[in-house]
Amino acid sequence: MLKLHTLGKRYGSRWILRDLNLEVLTGECVALLGPSGCGKSTALRLIAGLEHPDEGGIELDGRSLDGIPAERRRIGMVFQSYALFPHLSVRDNLDLGLKIRGMAPAKRREQIDAVLSTVQLVNEADRRPEQLSGGQRQRVALGRALLRNPSVYLLDEPMSNLDAQLRDELRPQLRRLILQGPQPVLYVTHDQQEAMALADRIAVLRNGRIEQIGTPQELYLKPATRFVAGFIGRPQINWLKKTNGACIGIRPEHLRPDENGDRCRLIGREWLGANQLLLLEGAAGQLQMLCSADLQPGENLGVSWSPQDEHHFDPISEKRLSRS
Amino acid sequence: MNRSRPLWIALLLIWSLLPMLWQLITSFTSSDALVNADIPFQQRWTLAHYRELLSGDPPFWRYLFNSSLVGGLSTLLTLLLAVPAAYGIARMAPASRRTIRTVVGAAALFPYVLLFLALLELAREFQMGNNLLAIALPYAGLALPLALLLLISAFEGLPNELDDAARLEGLGVVDRLRWVLMPLIAPATASTGILVFLFAWNEYPIALTWLSRDDLLTLPVAMARIAGSSIYAVPYGAYAAATVLGSLPLLALVLLCQRQIVAGLTNGAVKG
Repeated sequence: MLKLHTLGKRYGSRWILRDLNLEVLTGECVALLGPSGCGKSTALRLIAGLEHPDEGGIELDGRSLDGIPAERRRIGMVFQSYALFPHLSVRDNLDLGLKIRGMAPAKRREQIDAVLSTVQLVNEADRRPEQLSGGQRQRVALGRALLRNPSVYLLDEPMSNLDAQLRDELRPQLRRLILQGPQPVLYVTHDQQEAMALADRIAVLRNGRIEQIGTPQELYLKPATRFVAGFIGRPQINWLKKTNGACIGIRPEHLRPDENGDRCRLIGREWLGANQLLLLEGAAGQLQMLCSADLQPGENLGVSWSPQDEHHFDPISEKRLSRS
Repeated sequence: MNRSRPLWIALLLIWSLLPMLWQLITSFTSSDALVNADIPFQQRWTLAHYRELLSGDPPFWRYLFNSSLVGGLSTLLTLLLAVPAAYGIARMAPASRRTIRTVVGAAALFPYVLLFLALLELAREFQMGNNLLAIALPYAGLALPLALLLLISAFEGLPNELDDAARLEGLGVVDRLRWVLMPLIAPATASTGILVFLFAWNEYPIALTWLSRDDLLTLPVAMARIAGSSIYAVPYGAYAAATVLGSLPLLALVLLCQRQIVAGLTNGAVKG
């Protein structure tokens, strides 16, 4: 189990990360989700020992990691840029760490062969990283992390440099190789869909602080702050023009056409295949509505939604207002 | 443009290679033929200059050996100091890096000839005169700033994440240098090493003042002695032969490290 308590890091007087409390249980995958610059990568670097916290501490399986250098922490990290050693073949990339740890050559060979077949790179073993595709490179990096036999996996935007198709190919592999293992996994991403698809729980970070931790469902159904409501869910939530002081959001998928509803003017239309996204202008402001692709909207149409789908937030504190 | 390119290349080659060719021809031409164009072609050629050099006291190969020793030692010492230092500097904060780079750059641009008297005093004080191993010290010291500048840039070209990944693989700083960083900056190290070696190979004022025993002279000093051996004649042939012999080890070195040098000059950075 990985435990972070009141973890903080600052550069000069600026806090990059502050008051981070988080537990990642055995076998659990927690995603750190947030826009760039929110401190999520810094959190990983602190856990890996590549940087030192200015506040708080990190515990792995009940033992503090304070003072243990990165070289001696048993951490499997995967970088966005893959960070493979460009002068070494795939096999030697995997071998270097084992060799340094003093494993016997025969045993090394056996383990590397096993991992090569797990990440499906047996035929590429003698190639250099530059001769591999992005997806293959990232699989080498995954293999390297697997061979480390780590106590925790840290994945830093592992799919951000891949195109959509490769991501779809890599996602099940990631699940099979790493997420289903017994180790806790911390997964950093700025892509909310990726976080929703892979993580058991998501911690949304903003300006170095956690806005909300919860399951993907909790974040979607009960966002704790206005920021989380805007960050989770695509297409983005609609913000209604202020009516009674509260800040009210309604998701595009919760709007429905209704002859007796608010009158709106159609100003844009995106056809998405199974459904379509309508851009509407009405008394409540601009609204996006996700609806059936069959609907043939006219110039004007009525829109309604049920009040329990609304999300209310305090306009000052931006916190969720509970409604009875 | 494309059509005339071979012509331009040929002109450039003639421009840079003709003096060497001239030296080569001169070194095989007898002393009489050098000053008398009427001597027939077949009677112009001789190996006398080489024979004279190699049978001298001490023989010329002794100077080659001395210079190779000093050059090799200076290069080794410089790289041994510069590689770890450059690595450390390249991983510092950008502001400190800029400051250090400025200071080191100023040191690299300093005309070292101004130092040779002071260095001579030091040599006297510490009794380092007439010692081939000792003269590598000032050479390494003088070559260090340039070597640092080149190697800092090389290390800066390596992404930090490579370092991070190696650390997480359990590699300490020595292992990282040995297995990851050094192989990646090998081209830059090779071209830096050659520059240092060249500097030591060519250096004159310090060698002139620190070394006086005949059998310890380095090439430039020895060649100056050959050139000034007689006040009545200029020994063109012997001098040319010495030039040719003195260039051979460098030629061999450059041919040996050709690939690294070209790679080091064309791109310092390594892409992941």
